[in-house]
Amino acid sequence: MDAKDILGLPKTQFQIPQEKKSRPPKEPQRKPDGISREVYALTGGLAPLMPSIDASQLKKRPPSDEKITWQWLPFTSSARKDDLQLFHWVRVVNGVPPIGDYAFAKYNKKVSLVKYTDEEYEKYLIDPAWTKEETDQLFDLCEQFDLRFIVIADRFPSSRTVEELKYRYYSVSRTVLIARASSPTDVAGNPLVKDPYNMSQEIERKRALSMVLSQTKQQERKDAEVLAEAKRITESRSSLKGSEEPDVPIIAVAGSETSDKAVAVGDIAVPSNSAAPGTSAVTADNASTLASLRMLCVYLQSYALDQMVQATSSSVGLRTIKRVEQLMQDLGVNLKPKVPTKAVCAAHLELRKDILNLLNLQKQLQNKEAEGSSFHDNPYSEAPGTPKMLIREQDRPFMSDALNFGGDRLGKSNQKRKVPGRTSEGVPSPAHKRPRKLKASDL
Amino acid sequence: MYGGDEVSAIVVDLGSHTCKAGYAGEDAPKAVFPSVVGSIDQMEVDDPATTDANPGSAVDAKINKTPEDGKSKGKRKLYVGSQSLGFRRDHMEVLSPFKDGIVADWDIVDHIWDHAFRECLLIDPKEHPMLLAEPSSNIQQQRERAVELMFEKYKVPALFLAKNAVLTSFASGRATSLVVDCGGGSTTVAPVHDGYVLQRAVTSSPIGGEFLTDCLMKSLGSKGIKIKPRYSFKRKEIRPGDFQTVDLVLPNTTESYRLYSQRVIASDIKESVCRAPDTPYDETAYANIPMTSYELPDGQTIEIGADRFKIPDILFNPSLAQTIPGMENFSELAPSVRGLSQMVIESISRCDVDIRRELFSSILLAGGTASMQQLKERLEKDLLEESPQSARIKVLASGNTTERRYSVWIGGSILASLGSFQQMWFSKSEYEEHGASYVQRKCP
Repeated sequence: MDAKDILGLPKTQFQIPQEKKSRPPKEPQRKPDGISREVYALTGGLAPLMPSIDASQLKKRPPSDEKITWQWLPFTSSARKDDLQLFHWVRVVNGVPPIGDYAFAKYNKKVSLVKYTDEEYEKYLIDPAWTKEETDQLFDLCEQFDLRFIVIADRFPSSRTVEELKYRYYSVSRTVLIARASSPTDVAGNPLVKDPYNMSQEIERKRALSMVLSQTKQQERKDAEVLAEAKRITESRSSLKGSEEPDVPIIAVAGSETSDKAVAVGDIAVPSNSAAPGTSAVTADNASTLASLRMLCVYLQSYALDQMVQATSSSVGLRTIKRVEQLMQDLGVNLKPKVPTKAVCAAHLELRKDILNLLNLQKQLQNKEAEGSSFHDNPYSEAPGTPKMLIREQDRPFMSDALNFGGDRLGKSNQKRKVPGRTSEGVPSPAHKRPRKLKASDL
Repeated sequence: MYGGDEVSAIVVDLGSHTCKAGYAGEDAPKAVFPSVVGSIDQMEVDDPATTDANPGSAVDAKINKTPEDGKSKGKRKLYVGSQSLGFRRDHMEVLSPFKDGIVADWDIVDHIWDHAFRECLLIDPKEHPMLLAEPSSNIQQQRERAVELMFEKYKVPALFLAKNAVLTSFASGRATSLVVDCGGGSTTVAPVHDGYVLQRAVTSSPIGGEFLTDCLMKSLGSKGIKIKPRYSFKRKEIRPGDFQTVDLVLPNTTESYRLYSQRVIASDIKESVCRAPDTPYDETAYANIPMTSYELPDGQTIEIGADRFKIPDILFNPSLAQTIPGMENFSELAPSVRGLSQMVIESISRCDVDIRRELFSSILLAGGTASMQQLKERLEKDLLEESPQSARIKVLASGNTTERRYSVWIGGSILASLGSFQQMWFSKSEYEEHGASYVQRKCP
């Protein structure tokens, strides 16, 4: 405001800042002039934070010195080649109609085609499959329809496919461009020259797409029957496995169904107008069935394996599981078998059980040793008593577990082989865990 | 309006059942009337109004009682519009300008246009550019005739011929779609790509609203229900609320007029009572369906049962029409007529592979017959079964039945009021310079 005063500029019409100052102390006692009380109350009785239109200005029209009328006047458009005059409503200011071209003429966009002359045609563009008339017609239609090839193919007098038309157009344009260029590098950047139209690739792509799209409901029903068959087979297999399996076939079948659909989309389905690929489609179908069955087996085995492993390791702590896995890695065995066939999974489980047994025995050995050593060192202290009992309690579940897993053989050898034999193996691997164990037992 | 510029163009859509005309920029046509005319051959009638007409009319003594010679040398008076048609006149024949979907009698078309401009819209055609809607598979000769008539007789400043399917597509805001136009005289399925009709993929069948009306009439007739045309009776009020029907005997009424009046009543029955069934029609399944009652104008109340569902199912299964007594000759007329969903699939499979998916997901329903209840759901269901798995089917129809009926006209109204359309008119000077065949270039 002050700056404007200094510069001598006229104050704005709305006088916003001054109004703002006077308004807040006087609200809501004073109703502002220019608008009625009820209307003002609609705003909540408060002035808007940023008054865009001043209240007192609402009744007054902006004092314009222009005379605005609307007239029905003729107009022409530069987008038209003739001089047709149509009429429309025009906002006339002070009796002067607006000048300039029709506002919508700028939307008349056209595609710029490469036009060849007759000599160029004779020199470069002769093609056995195309006559000059046809090529001329093609270019004419291209200009009329702005390179919408699907429509052009529809209106082309003789029936040519879209790919043929595209190929002819793009190769002609490319040849003419290269011929007209003074040097090859000039036009190397032009997309027409850089990426030539590949007709065979387009034909192949369209053929594949049409096969995808023509896979009718018949095919779907066949695929569904095949999948139902597969599901039946997996269910009969999984009924041998155990109680947790009911989830598996459903998940497995669901998983394979989605993957099978993906397979089917890429599959060669029978197109509606040729019988020859029918047999290949049948064999392809069989192949996809076998693949899905195999995949089901795969799913089944590894999932079953996981279940098994979880079952066995649920009764032992997380630490033990980690030790088992550590040992397996040291031995060079993968934690999840790479080729989970039945035999491999069974062997894997056996290995895990054996390792668990080993660890149990080692633990027992440790405990007995600790017992023995503490007994040695401290014959008079009370402490060994409680640890001993604790250890024995801990021993018991391990003992029973060992009996469960390994069978009798291992259990018996436990008793015999406590001192000799395993100590050399037992000490190094759980070595890093040993201090913790002792701490727990020491209390 | 954004993108719009009104030049007071007129949009005329001459369909096989009704003619719609009105100003561009409005949302509904002002003039809607049947596109049939009543015609009285002048020689037969001692009409005092025409005694001062050319005495030459009596000289061409071709007193022909047959109505088909409307274009013979004899003069005839044509009555256009629903008011004129509603009034029964002696010896008045009802004629349609169309034969098999294309215009056969341009004189009638001329009269219809004249009635629309001068009596309904009250305009002078010289001052307004005209947008005409034409069938999607119109031939060059017909287009040239229309152009000549417009420029020579009505002297319009500018003209444009647009295809029905394109206008319907624009009315729903799409440049690419598959338009299923279930009109009065025929059903046409036409794909539109980027604003142009793909002519090689247009399929059409002669089963339209009027055919269904005929089937309904024959079916009711075979059940013993007689539909009395409105002119043939008078109702007298004997006591308050109690009416008695008195039959009038009018020997000079022509057969075609009687049929026409009966059709009006039958099509009203069809529109109010018929519904598209959810599953293909089966005689045994619908044998015990509860009946709906309908009161005819003469006071009779009739019960309609299985026909409610049988008639609309003819659209999907044309061979059903043969089971209706009286329509057995249908199989000779059109042995290869297919149902609606087969036409859609066939039309799409004739298009280029790249656009098929887009066409499947934007199928538009238009036309008077398309405002039948449950038609959209039934079509969707049928298409889902017969179409490829990977295509997503979507049938669109505007919820308002008036919009469905007039969607071609509405599309024309939108098109003619766009600012960027004003450069596309086929003007009189271009016609004078290049001739009528230039229309092929200007109106692709």
